[in-house]
Amino acid sequence: MSLINENKDFGVIAELIPNNASVIDVGCNDGSLLEYLRKYKNIDGRGMEIDQKKVQLCLAKGISVIEGDADTDLYDYPDKLFDYSILTYTLQATKSPKTVMQQLVRISKKAIISFPNFGHWKIGASLLLNRKMPVSKKLSYSWHETPNLHFCTINDFIDLCEELEIKIEKKGDLSNKKLSNFSGKNFLDSYFNEVGLFLVSKD
Amino acid sequence: MCENKIVTLAEDEPLNLDGGGSLSKFKTAYTTYGKLNDKKNNSILVCHALTGDQYVASDHPITKKNGWWSMVVGPDKPIDTNKFFVICPNVIGGCMGSTGPKEINPENGKEFATDFPVITIADMVRAQKLLIDYLGIEKIFCVTGGSMGGMLVLEWLSKFPEMVHSAVPIATATNHSAQNIALNELARQSIMADPNWQSGNYYHSDKKPMKGLSVARMAAHISYLSKEALQSKFGRNLQDKNSLDYSFDADFQIESYLRHQGFTFVDRFDANSYLYITRAMDYFDVSSANNGSLIEAFKNTQSKILCVSFTSDWLYPTSENKKIVKVFNSLGLNVSFIEIETENGHDSFLLDEPKFFEAIKGFINSTFENL
Repeated sequence: MSLINENKDFGVIAELIPNNASVIDVGCNDGSLLEYLRKYKNIDGRGMEIDQKKVQLCLAKGISVIEGDADTDLYDYPDKLFDYSILTYTLQATKSPKTVMQQLVRISKKAIISFPNFGHWKIGASLLLNRKMPVSKKLSYSWHETPNLHFCTINDFIDLCEELEIKIEKKGDLSNKKLSNFSGKNFLDSYFNEVGLFLVSKD
Repeated sequence: MCENKIVTLAEDEPLNLDGGGSLSKFKTAYTTYGKLNDKKNNSILVCHALTGDQYVASDHPITKKNGWWSMVVGPDKPIDTNKFFVICPNVIGGCMGSTGPKEINPENGKEFATDFPVITIADMVRAQKLLIDYLGIEKIFCVTGGSMGGMLVLEWLSKFPEMVHSAVPIATATNHSAQNIALNELARQSIMADPNWQSGNYYHSDKKPMKGLSVARMAAHISYLSKEALQSKFGRNLQDKNSLDYSFDADFQIESYLRHQGFTFVDRFDANSYLYITRAMDYFDVSSANNGSLIEAFKNTQSKILCVSFTSDWLYPTSENKKIVKVFNSLGLNVSFIEIETENGHDSFLLDEPKFFEAIKGFINSTFENL
């Protein structure tokens, strides 16, 4: 689940985060995003990562990291402990995306969530024309070995937020490095964004 | 590489103890490795476990074996003594030179034996603090230790938070479970059931409570290992024989191994110390001074912390260590946590565990770079 064009994604995420914010990156990988945000936004960062090799890399970078699982270990944090929580490219690999999202908006004032958009036209075309599960740069696993359990589309995500009464504040378009205010479902986003990126919150 | 030093502390005013009473002019035996830098910000305090001592990285004077953490502490080791000034004191109540039951009570010129006051983990930490003051260190860069050493680390974080820049508590707990207490009680009872214990007054006797202490060590040793490790190391293998003896000799290798662990232990450890130190561990509850609230206990802690547990440790299991992590998380502290996968049980922190070493090294070095 490596991030493609990491720094491009990082830049967009960094734009959403004010200086000196406290941030938890859930599924923080080797800690590069936290390191980036520490460098450019002077954040007070924490990570959570399930893969021990990556936990070691975080420790060596001086990043505070919990070896843990988004599905079970977010309960340990008190309400609104962080200004921001980040979940990049991990939602689809959790056992229960719904409870993970609820936990994220509970432990932080705002949550930044990104995920591969299964509604992208190429995926639709691949299914339609080849009758095979899509494999692309962003979705690099074959169906039988993928860690991804719950694929969703941008529209599915929006519906889930509505169901959970989670407010979507902003949306991101990573290919154009663009952020904009969210104003409901949008045909272009759901077809042409390979990745859904949203800033959400719940009081 | 290092020499054992002994310093007399609490010369002006006595060290008041949790259980009432006090110790004055008590001795602390300690070793140091590396050099304290000019800024005095590179010190690492290593806290030993129940049967450990100050010989963390130098050969033990009695057993002649390598220091108990010689794989971790030393030049170019995970705790690099080229870079850090490592201090390792023998706890009070111990038997390797610090004031404890086998040392002479200055008041009457006799061994303390069971006149030694019952001490707590907090008392040990207060005594260590006097040593740190004596060494002229205002802020310790890192306090670390496993098992009881981890309890001392937690107590440091609670009692003297402003003196601790970072901390690595390993395979430990905020207090002992009923099971932990039960195992320690078994050990104490086996010592006291030995007629040679003589109510603790055996220092001038030909007969020492070696059997009792040896059985205590055997029981404890089982708790340090995992079922898997015992099984893969010994299984039901027989010791130097091809068939069962139909006797009570050590037929199985595991029996022979445990007997060896017990016999060798009595050469280097004092039975009364074993009673006092296990008691301190059982009494330990880092929240006790704060009405049972762990949040209160650590409310002034600002240190950067790495908690470590081992998958096969059933004595201080991951769940106990995660409880500590949860408290630190609740306080928004800079806490990291790693669970090392191993079948070596509680003893893992003393063994060759490369992933454990890597975690400690990564944490300590990056924390030092960001000082």
